[in-house]
Amino acid sequence: MKNIKKAILLAFIGAGLIAPVQAEEVHAIICGGEIRPADQVVFDAFEAKYSGVKVNAEAVPWGTCQDKSMTLAAAGDPVGLAYIGSRTLKQLGRSGLIVPVDISDEMQALYQPGVLATVSDGGQFWGYPHAFSTKALFINCGLVEAAGEACVAPRTWEGLYNMAKAVNDNTSAAGIGLAARDFDNTMHQFLNYLYSNGGTVSNADTGEITFNSPETVETLAFIGKLAGVAQEGPSGYERSQLTQLYNDGQIGMYINGPWGAGQHNDNIAEIVVPVPAGPSGSSGTLLITDSMAVFKGSANEDLAMELAQMMTSGEAQYDLDMSWGLTPILQYEKMRDDVYYSTDYWQTFVEPIGRGGPEPMFEDFKALQAGINGAIQGIILGDGSAADLVAEAAETLAEGL
Amino acid sequence: MFKPKTKAQTTTLFAWALIAPAALVMFWVVVWPLYETFRLSFTDSTLGTLMGGAEYVGWENYEKAIGGRKFPSIVTRTFYWMFLSVGLKVVLGLIGATLLASNIRGRGIFRALVMPPWIVPIAIGCFGWLWLYNGHFGLLSNFAEMAGITDGPYSFLAYKQSAFYSAVVTDVWIGTPMVTLFFLAAMQGVPRDLYEAAYVDGASRWYRFRRITMPQIMPTVISMALLSAIWTFNSFEIIWILTEGGPRGATTTLIIDTFKTAIFSYKFGAGATRAVLVCILLGVFSLIYLTVLGWVGKKYGYAGVQK
Repeated sequence: MKNIKKAILLAFIGAGLIAPVQAEEVHAIICGGEIRPADQVVFDAFEAKYSGVKVNAEAVPWGTCQDKSMTLAAAGDPVGLAYIGSRTLKQLGRSGLIVPVDISDEMQALYQPGVLATVSDGGQFWGYPHAFSTKALFINCGLVEAAGEACVAPRTWEGLYNMAKAVNDNTSAAGIGLAARDFDNTMHQFLNYLYSNGGTVSNADTGEITFNSPETVETLAFIGKLAGVAQEGPSGYERSQLTQLYNDGQIGMYINGPWGAGQHNDNIAEIVVPVPAGPSGSSGTLLITDSMAVFKGSANEDLAMELAQMMTSGEAQYDLDMSWGLTPILQYEKMRDDVYYSTDYWQTFVEPIGRGGPEPMFEDFKALQAGINGAIQGIILGDGSAADLVAEAAETLAEGL
Repeated sequence: MFKPKTKAQTTTLFAWALIAPAALVMFWVVVWPLYETFRLSFTDSTLGTLMGGAEYVGWENYEKAIGGRKFPSIVTRTFYWMFLSVGLKVVLGLIGATLLASNIRGRGIFRALVMPPWIVPIAIGCFGWLWLYNGHFGLLSNFAEMAGITDGPYSFLAYKQSAFYSAVVTDVWIGTPMVTLFFLAAMQGVPRDLYEAAYVDGASRWYRFRRITMPQIMPTVISMALLSAIWTFNSFEIIWILTEGGPRGATTTLIIDTFKTAIFSYKFGAGATRAVLVCILLGVFSLIYLTVLGWVGKKYGYAGVQK
């Protein structure tokens, strides 16, 4: 009996000792389903710096990741930090679930143009940008040449359409791969065209919806025109499925990020060119970031903040960008002599950054996606004129701002 | 402390004690969530106010939901989806049950073969259909092309009408086995002497089915149809996995709209309003359905159909 009492006492003492150690845990949710080696290096360094602090990094697939982070926070059990799409930051910030972060002037000067606009709302930064992408047009030269065309970069939408039509009419492949399924990358594809035609979605300063404009109508009408030379049933496809079609030689070209080359079959002779310019604009790109957001009220908010800073600065960030094959999020040439993006391939993704537009920040970011994707599907399925569909989408966007 | 003084009081107390655990469970599992949903539907609850701070907004959510430009089409689509799907399930279930009830060789094997769509997890079955419906890599599209029905790939889920009817087909595929088995069980309960008497009188197969089988299994058909209607009305996974309510809302039913509002956009108040509307619409439908069938049952004397 005496021994049992002793054992119980020891168990309580043990639990008491363990409790403070458990409190020194930083819970990080990493969207994307894997912990990148570059991030793991930072976690290890962080644990070495703070003895007794454990980084509990949980990799969650994109499909459920953001919802999980948000639901945990809303339920009063927030994680320390999460790697999530920057488009969610406005909603999280305005809901009081994340804290604003401090980015030094020195660091601000290092970010690529437009990157900080993807994490800014109300004059504050709501996350540390951690992954960045721009987009370009991948063209299968084998199919273009089989169609009797020279495989050179189309500079305008007219040139793009003519090339796609030639492939469509003269080969068994579709001219272009068009994403129109209700997915975020359908909206992203559209914004690449919109920003290459001088269009905008909203005014970040005034909060006014600027989507309903002649440039947007022109862009949507062009998407409708492209559908005529695209793969059958664009509304059933999102970007990753277009990659499969591209590898299968079933589409002549499509828009993708810098990781595209690594996903394509080696036997495809391709060129990668900037998104062609629309009649009302110049070649541009969509600037998308994912960020490290620090949640309010977690046990170790300060530690989480420091970990987020470590992950997103200096060599740690460079290693991530380089190993992952992302558009450089910082102007690393200001920090080091050799950079991984000095090749022509990379310049196609780096050069348009200054002319790019950010992924808009909406409080209800799902409304943004629903509005734009609804218009895209509408023009493809023949549900109305481009002007009517843009006006309808602008109404939906206004509800979500 | 209350002490029972009579035997009747003791019995009453004992009865309450017996049902108390079940009543408590019912309260936590059914009553409280229903009350919370109802309460939430009158608030502006969102992600930021989930832990407190949501304000009472009166009928605003209901006005917005019912007055929304998409609401009438969503309600119409939901009822059309339900009637079409349930109608097909009942008809196919009756045909299947009749075939399985007939005296043929290998009947047991056929009965077992009916089960897989119901046994396979819905998500797995839907992923299979997702592949079948794919335009470039799907089996159906390739068969149609080989048979000369189409002159190229056809993505069944990429167009509004074909996406809707594809979802109906999948729902019927998943829901029919259970309906079939219920009908089969009911058919096996029909007294054999009724068939024998009719047979001796020279009644045809069709006449026996119409005048003996159908009236005898009608209570099961009615109950099953009502249950199936409620399940189909609230069917979520099938549509969500196949189309997520698209393209362009062509497969968005009330339950999909509720999910998108409450969970996808974190508008819990507006989402709860839609959930309450679903309950009301289903309640009204059930009431009308049972009233009409009660009247039909009385008039035509179907066994077991009572108001």
